[in-house]
Amino acid sequence: MKAPFSPYLLGIKAGLKRLIALLERDYDYVSALATDSVGLALHISRHAKAVEHETMTTERGVVVRVWRDGLYSEFALNAFDPEQPEAAYAQIRGALDAQMALLRATGTKIYETPRLPDEPLTLFVEKETEQLPETTDIGALVAALTAISDRGMGLDSRMIECIAAAQSTHISKLFLSHDRDLSQSYVYSEGTVVAVVAEQGRNQIGYDSVSGLGGPELFAGLGEKLDRAVQTAVELLAAESVEPGEYEIITAPEVSGLIAHEAFGHGVEMDMFVKDRALGRDYIGKRVGSELCSMHEGALCAEEVASYAFDDEGVLAGDVTEIDRGILRTGICDALSALRLGVAPTGNGKRENFEHKVYTRMTNTIFDSGDSTLDEMIASVKRGYLLEGCESGMEDPKHWGIQCIVKLGREIVDGKLTGRVVAPIILTGYVPELLGGISMCSRDRETFGGGGCGKGYKEFVKVSDGGPYLKTKARLG
Amino acid sequence: MLEKVLELLKNAGVYAWEVTDKKTEGWEFYFIRHALDQNRAKSVEHIHVKVYQRIGEASVGAAEAELHPSATPEEAAQLVENLKAEAGLAPNRIYSLRSPEEAHRAPRDSAAVDVPAIAGDFLAALSALPETETEDINSYEIFVSAVTRRFVNSAGIDVTETYPSSMAEVIVNARNAGEEIELYRMYRSGSCDAAGLRRNLARTMAYGRDRLRAAPTPPLGRADVLLSTDDALAVYRYFVARLDPAMVLRQMSDWKLGVPIAREVRGDAVTLTALRELPNSSRNRAFDREGAPIRDQVMLRAGVPEHYLGGRMFSAYMGLEDSFQPGNLAVSGGSRSAAELRQGKWLEPVEFSDFQVDPMTGDIFGEIRLAYWHDGEKTVPVSGGSVSGNMRELLGDLQLSAETVQYDNWRVPALTRLNGVTVTGIES
Repeated sequence: MKAPFSPYLLGIKAGLKRLIALLERDYDYVSALATDSVGLALHISRHAKAVEHETMTTERGVVVRVWRDGLYSEFALNAFDPEQPEAAYAQIRGALDAQMALLRATGTKIYETPRLPDEPLTLFVEKETEQLPETTDIGALVAALTAISDRGMGLDSRMIECIAAAQSTHISKLFLSHDRDLSQSYVYSEGTVVAVVAEQGRNQIGYDSVSGLGGPELFAGLGEKLDRAVQTAVELLAAESVEPGEYEIITAPEVSGLIAHEAFGHGVEMDMFVKDRALGRDYIGKRVGSELCSMHEGALCAEEVASYAFDDEGVLAGDVTEIDRGILRTGICDALSALRLGVAPTGNGKRENFEHKVYTRMTNTIFDSGDSTLDEMIASVKRGYLLEGCESGMEDPKHWGIQCIVKLGREIVDGKLTGRVVAPIILTGYVPELLGGISMCSRDRETFGGGGCGKGYKEFVKVSDGGPYLKTKARLG
Repeated sequence: MLEKVLELLKNAGVYAWEVTDKKTEGWEFYFIRHALDQNRAKSVEHIHVKVYQRIGEASVGAAEAELHPSATPEEAAQLVENLKAEAGLAPNRIYSLRSPEEAHRAPRDSAAVDVPAIAGDFLAALSALPETETEDINSYEIFVSAVTRRFVNSAGIDVTETYPSSMAEVIVNARNAGEEIELYRMYRSGSCDAAGLRRNLARTMAYGRDRLRAAPTPPLGRADVLLSTDDALAVYRYFVARLDPAMVLRQMSDWKLGVPIAREVRGDAVTLTALRELPNSSRNRAFDREGAPIRDQVMLRAGVPEHYLGGRMFSAYMGLEDSFQPGNLAVSGGSRSAAELRQGKWLEPVEFSDFQVDPMTGDIFGEIRLAYWHDGEKTVPVSGGSVSGNMRELLGDLQLSAETVQYDNWRVPALTRLNGVTVTGIES
């Protein structure tokens, strides 16, 4: 079925057009993004069960963007009355005029930016889904998640908690300007199982997840993830510390994805180029990885949680080849940064929600596959680790440092897994060295969309990342 | 719309309900260098509705959702009906909501918040920083809001308060002839603390200078680590998590009331207190998200858990009727001065990629972007490598300075010394 576009947005569309027309009397560019995204979030564990309808991306509201004298200004509201656009007009003018008075009083200079082109475009997209979060059988889903949680508790005597969580969000967005009329509706879902074990006062956690473009039907695959989550948690109880040093490593697809995200996701967000905050600007056309290293980024390059049809500035989604056989080709760009840099936007202008500013943000960031098998990769390692599971990562686009917290490492000696597990692991390094060291890539690849991404320590948005198994060298601690 | 949904809930025939109505009037300014990139304003309202239904004699279920202020009366009625049905699908052990007697003991004056005035203070403060040829401001973002929050529940609580909430994100650059680096800062507060901003950013610029001349961090093996920045909060958040009823009841924390958290204390035993007010904190509140009154309460006294604090459900399960979700927290100073704690050899990381303490496992991590290594005689800036360890092993030998410092909603020792941390250098 098609994910139906929001009736609420259809109902306010005419009023929004009137509001835009009113504002066009005072401003030289006006656009509005209206959102109406509904969701379902179920959280089932041994001790607590919860039914909620708010996810990371549920929202309903309107943000208006205006341009005059080189300055972009925005106003966000969520009590828009389509019968009274004059009231919203007065509210917006009042607030922005008051801000301008303060800026004049403080002698604030303007960073001048050209007017957006606003080329004519009409689009109406309703993506496919089997189910919708707003009409799914919640009782059946609660029962299924409860069964997963209960089964997890029985898998090991050291289990103290097993959480089965499922979230599904039906996104509807409407972008309007003088010459653009874009509508999109799609559903994405994500499910997670978390196993918590305790032994002699020590706790460990294992988890696994499912995610993708689609509705609650995706949760049918969640139960299959349980055994691995429990096994990981139990293995971590007996894990040893890694001897700090540089090792040959093989990154599992989720770790490859984390590296993609931290290394060359944030590093080529081109709003950082405008501020001269990223080394990537100086490396376009230059080698940043080995011949085996290629990477794509874009809402069109995977069917995952960030696979929209147009971004929050009304720019169509793209699929950018960021790294082509080791050469950095381009970055990703929101519309205003593109104007400032004199390049084309790539459809990566995203907001946390209608209340937040647009930044250049990642969507799906994925390493390309290679032609090796995992067995061949393990056999080629003299002494190193197979790294599995992600905790978190942090980039340093200005310095190209990278920090990834990895769940565990499986020791490899003379081409064989020894059964020894080390954890936790901090993977650190210099991005071009890490990517330059890629010597093997597996044939298959996976994507993961269970998490979120911040810009600094705020502005959280949905992203996915992934790739194949990669063999390289890195410093582990 | 708020009054409509309250009327609907009062007549819904449900076991219990809660409504939180949060109105925000906000101004935002984004700068590249000192030129305005964009100005933004918002006026939003979020109405959060939670409905509870009895399931048999011993269970209660809950379902919650946001009711948009633009909803029609029909949509509001449908939302309440849906939540009534869904609340019966997810049974938890029965518990009751907060009562009005508790909440009404806690009046707190809500002063009007002047968003333009606070924004003006931020604009003035950030345009007059002590920049130099080699250390300056790359970009910054200013967020100022006036928030009015009303909490109403079926037990009779109906409380409202207004408070300011501000944030500034600042990117600092430092450069020499061949290299430029950046340092990231995020400041949260009630209103603008101009003097504090200037003081902290001047120190940040000094860190930038030192990072550019830093040597590789030596492979120290085990070392004593000094935390003198807000990274110390990650350590103290571990204590708060271990005293959360949700962690204790689920056996994710083994801290027991009256039982010391460390078998042997060689350093300073920690005293942790929840506070209702801290000067200019962004978290000064009279009541928590569930309407529980917030008060000053010692949670951990000299290394011995005294009071668990957290959300209603798990608190009720543990019989903690006076529990609440703390907003402001304070860790008492230790027995020695910061100068005395700087004895012997130590590593003082002041810039991490991301310093973390896992509240569940106690694992600590952090890649070092700048630290000061003191070998007993001289102090040199170093960079690279990482620190790691586990709080369970480090708890017994924490050393806290007598002097304290405030970071928004936390007041903590100005210097925290963790002895015996693993330090991976970059020469190994």
